[in-house]
Amino acid sequence: MGIIIYCILLVKRDTEKLNSLLNDIKGISNTDLFAISSNEIAVVVSDIEKHGLTADRSNTLKYASVVEQIFQQFALLPMRFGSVIESREMVTKLLERNYIEILQNLYKVESKYEFGLKVFCDSGKLKEELIEKSSDNIQAPVKTVPEIKRSVFRDYVDKKLREHKLEELMLAYVDQVISKITTYLSMFNSVNKFRKMVTETTILDAIFLIDKDHKSAIIHAVDDLQGQYPTLNFILTGPWPPYNFVEITLK
Amino acid sequence: MSENKILYNTGSLDELSEEIGKLTSNDESKLKLTPDNADSGLAKLVLTLVELIRKLVEKQAMRRVDGGLLTDEEIERLGETLMKLEMKMEELKEHFHLTDRDLNINLGPLGDLM
Repeated sequence: MGIIIYCILLVKRDTEKLNSLLNDIKGISNTDLFAISSNEIAVVVSDIEKHGLTADRSNTLKYASVVEQIFQQFALLPMRFGSVIESREMVTKLLERNYIEILQNLYKVESKYEFGLKVFCDSGKLKEELIEKSSDNIQAPVKTVPEIKRSVFRDYVDKKLREHKLEELMLAYVDQVISKITTYLSMFNSVNKFRKMVTETTILDAIFLIDKDHKSAIIHAVDDLQGQYPTLNFILTGPWPPYNFVEITLK
Repeated sequence: MSENKILYNTGSLDELSEEIGKLTSNDESKLKLTPDNADSGLAKLVLTLVELIRKLVEKQAMRRVDGGLLTDEEIERLGETLMKLEMKMEELKEHFHLTDRDLNINLGPLGDLM
């Protein structure tokens, strides 16, 4: 038997509130949840068969649902799915060893929500639009070469150069979108992370950590952005527990 | 993702679900090395790295062509080299039954290699 850790939370003096909340939630395999505390922080865990934890849909959804329900009432750091430890004593030791770092991280995410913003595009249409707007003639060959001198190798370079220029145009465009989003986010004093050109159609995958009070303001900001980029599709999700903002390596 | 977590979306839920599917279906991009597939697993790893280097070389070459730094003869030779490299790569992929999607490695939180 092992112990699976769901999250570490800032419980302060609300131990009773936490225990009553945990009484209403079941863990993976319908197990009881319990808290192991140390001063201001607590770890939410449940017993688990050591070899019984598979990363299937049902278990991962259950894990996320436990974290989500606790997140509604406490500031927390979600643990990576599958964090199993041998005994309660080891959980206590882990808490003691990392107490300061955990506490600092918890204060950083307290009263904050994580939001996700994905920007999708019709890649073909966007490329056509960018080519049209570009001052550079992308379709032109590298150098004007007399027809007699053209060869299959030269045509190949021309084709590759067109692809290269188009990629540069796309990247410049995405940078411009990021810069616009950053301008909006700067109003909310947020922490942001961006990934560009994740797939051909997902030009941007952004996550940010923002004060809880700014939830409706961020929806308005995304609506504004959508108005400025009608050919793109902005999707805002959240609020999420700070899955992408836990910056701690447990010792 | 539950619907109430979507705060803003002007497209349809079907489109969204399709896009999310593309972002999360990264089975091919995981390197699965087992005693039974050590050969093909290793080939996939080596070819992924070769493809990464080939693409970097191609990108650098295009920057130089775009910057007008090469003569006609140099562009011609470059074209021949890049074309042969790409053809050789296609041959190797076919030999090891690999597709373009296979030639990538999922680096977890860092995303895909290419």
